[in-house]
Amino acid sequence: MSVLAVQDLRVGFRDGTLAVRGISLDLGHGETLGLVGESGCGKSVTSLAVMGLLARGAARTAAGIRLAGEDIARASERRMAQLRGDRIAMIFQEPMTSLNPAYTVGDQLSEVYRRHRGAGRLQARDRAADLLARVGIANPGLRLAQYPHELSGGLRQRVMIAMALMCEPDVLIADEPTTALDVTVQAQILRLLQDLQKETGLAILLITHDLGVVARMADRVSVMYAGEIVESGTAEALFGRPMHPYTRGLLDSIPVPGKLRPGDQLKAIPGTVPRITAAFRGCGFRDRCGLADRGCEDTIMPREEGPQHRYLCRLSSELQGQAS
Amino acid sequence: MTALIDEAGPAVSVRGLRRDFVRGGGLLSTHATVRAVDGVSFDVSHGEVLGIVGESGSGKSTLARLITGLLRPTAGDVRIAGRSLAEADRRQRARLIQQVFQDPYSSLNPTQRVRDIVALPLVAQGDVPREERARRVSEMLALVGLDPAVGERYPGQMSGGQRQRVAIARALVLKPRIVVCDEPTSALDVSVQAQILNLLQALRRELNLTLVFISHNLAVVEHIATHVAVMYLGRIVEAAPTAELFGSPRHPYTAALLQSVLTPEPGKGIPRIPLGEGFPDPAAIPPGCRFHPRCPSALPACADASPPLRVDAGHLVECILAPETASREATSQVHAGLGP
Repeated sequence: MSVLAVQDLRVGFRDGTLAVRGISLDLGHGETLGLVGESGCGKSVTSLAVMGLLARGAARTAAGIRLAGEDIARASERRMAQLRGDRIAMIFQEPMTSLNPAYTVGDQLSEVYRRHRGAGRLQARDRAADLLARVGIANPGLRLAQYPHELSGGLRQRVMIAMALMCEPDVLIADEPTTALDVTVQAQILRLLQDLQKETGLAILLITHDLGVVARMADRVSVMYAGEIVESGTAEALFGRPMHPYTRGLLDSIPVPGKLRPGDQLKAIPGTVPRITAAFRGCGFRDRCGLADRGCEDTIMPREEGPQHRYLCRLSSELQGQAS
Repeated sequence: MTALIDEAGPAVSVRGLRRDFVRGGGLLSTHATVRAVDGVSFDVSHGEVLGIVGESGSGKSTLARLITGLLRPTAGDVRIAGRSLAEADRRQRARLIQQVFQDPYSSLNPTQRVRDIVALPLVAQGDVPREERARRVSEMLALVGLDPAVGERYPGQMSGGQRQRVAIARALVLKPRIVVCDEPTSALDVSVQAQILNLLQALRRELNLTLVFISHNLAVVEHIATHVAVMYLGRIVEAAPTAELFGSPRHPYTAALLQSVLTPEPGKGIPRIPLGEGFPDPAAIPPGCRFHPRCPSALPACADASPPLRVDAGHLVECILAPETASREATSQVHAGLGP
């Protein structure tokens, strides 16, 4: 049973840009779903649309956004304010922009608990200290009294995670949670998220452009391009047998130890993500795809490569092989 | 111009480099000296690519700015192609060494056309005629894979990858022999990162460029560098030819860094990194081995004395635990695999 089910989500901006074009996501209890793609492909807009946090001027429609059975696509702003931070929480790339510099760590953590649970000051403090210890922070008492600027980047991200988990949400949306961190700290934070997930059954929607992070963290992966999900499958299937030319291009463009000899060229994807408006038809990747022809200007029907492994390309694996 | 170049010696030669910053000193705080770079020496030969890796606070970017002369060292010397940076004036320096920065969104003046941005180093030289400048700008734009017509555009009309190409064109317009790249692809998407890395590789071959390549991305460094130096709190704690360093790291810090790299292999999980929650703070450098508070293999002795420098067949490491196979070289990191 899924804790977050998004159906046919669409987001458009006032200038006519379609940022999200009918995507569906399904996230189960204790599961991690990775959403990958380059900047401008619609990943972050998707997460903000689910949270009901889109900026003014962005229009959202959806056949349904169900959070633990409740359709929040049509929930009031008041109801959403109750749910955010309680049943569904979010952490961002740069914790400094989401933590209030004028309040101590303890005040910010406590506030979440007091607002959603009506807890008293002392009870909220205890809960905050408890959570800081759970996210691997030594000496929580000291940290509670500190301001965000007094902490290192890794500690701030741990505080963000603690804050997101204060009310034991069903779903955590993690938008590039480790992109600003050093690799050593990144591994520690991701490990922590995995451990917490095992303990609490948290469902994680992990948004990242880092294929290494998503391969190691996600149970299932959806690849997003130009507002659509162009491929989705289990992490094993997607990394083992990538089907969409964009997924293949992404995987070929990163240097992987042992795959290339020194001096070898990496396979780059030419061009950039296009801006898509209502008049657009066909495959959004065709201008950058080495296999594209006139047929790619028609509506593309999804193909299946196995159970749960789908991709959005006119060409089957055999045809892709022949064309390349 | 070419009279500046000493072909025989190393392209870059750094000796005993140190840089202190004074932090604080405001109304309510006291002065603290931050030693960002603390006794760094190395050579880079012509045509090599030296990758410098390390966490934030390791002094990588300060070192880059010292090498390019954007910062003056507190002590020590940087020689570029045999010539001391301290003795070169700005124009000479610009012809010897140039830099490419991380963020092509902030390193290009948004109010100038691309052709003027790329021409600026030529204008600053003061002796390059206008027609010559225009010709060189077109030549450079073509060299970095841009249509010379983009010279009429403003940076705001270009993508991140195109802007970084402009920054590279600007760095190359004076035909320097050495380019310092500080996280040149960190702000770019992976597909664009691949384009820029390929471009740098091609330019290096065509122009016999020497690159100092600073990055936190170890996979990128492994791909592009011929030699790698690992920095921790202002010092080079390990340095070796790339395959050697990635294949058999000897410093526990290097080992932890390499373990942290997440290759796209599902099922492998997230490695457990044995470093604790501490982080390197250049304002409070620990006594003894500066890595010992985070080191999973630290001995009591590590807190007391600075670790010895051990050099073995071009592989250099500052750790008491490293095998004591070779002579300790008193002259620190000189010619330790980084030199010719």
